[in-house]
Amino acid sequence: MQTATNSGAREAILKSIRSHLALSRNLDAREEEIKPRTEMVLGLVSTALTEATSIVDLFKTSLEAVDGRCLIVHDDSELLHAITEIMRNLRQTKLSSLRVAVSDSSEVRRLVGLIELDLDEVAVTPSAADVFNFDIGISGAQAGIAETGTLLLDSSRERHRLVSLVPPVHIAILDAAKIVATLGEALSLMRKGEQVSPIVTLVTGPSRTADIELTLAIGVHGPQELYVVIRS
Amino acid sequence: MNHVTSETFDENARAALADSQLRGALRKVTSLFGQRRLAAARSLDNWEDLRSQARAIKDDVLLHLDSYLEQFVANAESRGAQFHWAQDAAEANAIICELASKRGARMIVKSKSMTTEETHLNKALEAADIQVVETDLGEYIIQLAEETPSHIIAPAIHKTKYQIAELFTQELGMPPTDDIAKLTSTARFTLRDRFAAADIGISGVNFGIAETGTILIVENEGNIRLTTSLPRVHIAVMGIEKVIPRFADADIFLKLLPRSGTGQRLTTYQSFITGTKTSPESEGPEELHVVMLDNGRSRMLAHPVTRQSLACIRCGACLNVCPVYQQIGGHAYGSVYPGPIGAVITPQLMGLEKTQQLPYASSLCGACREVCPVKIDIPRLLLHLRSEITENGSHAKKRASERAAFKLWRITMTKPWLYKLSARVGRIFQGALVRNGKIGKVKGIGRVATPLTAWTSNRDLRPIERQSFREVWHASLRKN
Repeated sequence: MQTATNSGAREAILKSIRSHLALSRNLDAREEEIKPRTEMVLGLVSTALTEATSIVDLFKTSLEAVDGRCLIVHDDSELLHAITEIMRNLRQTKLSSLRVAVSDSSEVRRLVGLIELDLDEVAVTPSAADVFNFDIGISGAQAGIAETGTLLLDSSRERHRLVSLVPPVHIAILDAAKIVATLGEALSLMRKGEQVSPIVTLVTGPSRTADIELTLAIGVHGPQELYVVIRS
Repeated sequence: MNHVTSETFDENARAALADSQLRGALRKVTSLFGQRRLAAARSLDNWEDLRSQARAIKDDVLLHLDSYLEQFVANAESRGAQFHWAQDAAEANAIICELASKRGARMIVKSKSMTTEETHLNKALEAADIQVVETDLGEYIIQLAEETPSHIIAPAIHKTKYQIAELFTQELGMPPTDDIAKLTSTARFTLRDRFAAADIGISGVNFGIAETGTILIVENEGNIRLTTSLPRVHIAVMGIEKVIPRFADADIFLKLLPRSGTGQRLTTYQSFITGTKTSPESEGPEELHVVMLDNGRSRMLAHPVTRQSLACIRCGACLNVCPVYQQIGGHAYGSVYPGPIGAVITPQLMGLEKTQQLPYASSLCGACREVCPVKIDIPRLLLHLRSEITENGSHAKKRASERAAFKLWRITMTKPWLYKLSARVGRIFQGALVRNGKIGKVKGIGRVATPLTAWTSNRDLRPIERQSFREVWHASLRKN
């Protein structure tokens, strides 16, 4: 739906780019700074990785460094126990109710169904209008990045865009096998084949700001608390 | 609050120097961010390689900008994004106002975008009777206060928590407090209503990936995620220089940008947005519009020195290390782009006529070049712009005397006999000009009008010593 004037602007801008580049061509020949593009070193490993004992431990250390909480469990019952404890503590401290929004992942729904706790409400992917009423969002994650403690959320594989963002608490369930070491590896995962999913979000810790006097405040627009439960 | 302009930079700077609260805040922000950047850069053992690679990628993009743009646009269009091209700020604002009014939008939420600050989009929307709410905490504060950003990364750093509390009490009816957590949560709850009610979300763009047509936006607060996922329509405003070729290139820039800006390994959120949603039941906006802004950028391609301005990734590292910015802060520059990078970008965007003083707002110490994650040679750019001002600006004629003075200087300095003679003559005649051991300054009655005033008004010029070094040397030889 481009208007006539707009495609005119497009052509004018591209023409301006070409004509100005042409002006610089003689000068460029004399510039030693213009070097041919060097090949990239991919899969750069930060110093932190070599020191850590395991990729799961490194993920935990990195996430805790940015105020996220990380629990490592080994089976369903430990996982349910961990989530139940998180919710019970939250109910006793900061939350006045337990309204839980879950993503459409069948595994997440199955696990939440097994929680033996009196939940005030459970809804699967509430709408943009309703999602503001929930206290906790629970989702899976498509990958983790150990060197930064990052979750990779691919919204074409799970509807967790709002569930992971709007409620004040986000609990993510991550399979240990999905954790990669570096950002570079995660980016290549995102690009399997030619297509990239419409929305991929990387999440590293709870929402934060230092806009007032540079004092760190956790949870300005996104979740105030982020729990990652790793199933290994 | 007066909105200062770049034309009055000298006055702005003097006013800033007299503001002790501002200077305290500046000391804090520049030293903290500076230290964190250094620590973060050192945590990677290949920092210098990353910088070189990033610059090589940017050089490649800029030398082939037309084809990378066409690739980016074609790929994003094939995924459902709609493109709009704007040659200048007015065109960009008109496009956005039209998009908004055609959809009957009454309320727009906006995440932080330097590009829309550059175009003064908010004013244009308000003139069209559309409410626009900034949602980044710092931007929200300065919008309520009707001010402008003072730092690229921390826009409201010039305000104390007490001033912000007073503002929130006045504007939002919040009970008085000096608790930063309470101020933050008040903003959270106030803005949630706006997010829920907004018809359109407007964001900036950090990187546009040509290979996939992906828009990449980075942040810490989560307001960009809300802005780009809740409203039915998402409009992204992007400078034409923001393209990077390959998806894998994001690895390099995501290592450099947060470390250079705030010293973080990674900011809290990165949103990779590729076109619109593929099915009606998936989450997110139905429409994605990308406004491509030129506004003077393509002009910078005409020379290799000016072209590197377009490599900037807006991290703010050069602000934090600049001895000039450290003293005067962002407002004095009279533009959305402050500090060393502002001193080179603003004159190129707005024209040298109105920004003549900015390229001189530097001691050319080179600290900005040392920290720049894409190795922009800002001192060289400053000199390039200074020479343009001298050659073509309205001051060119006035500088004829300066030119003559330097010519005379060169002749004198290259002929020893003339040098000796002029030193002797100078020693005799300088008496009339020397006050308090300096040439050209008199306590109490201002400066003595000398032909040298242009030089001495901002610099100390020592008088010629009674004996030259040679004379002292020869005298000591004779004694022994």
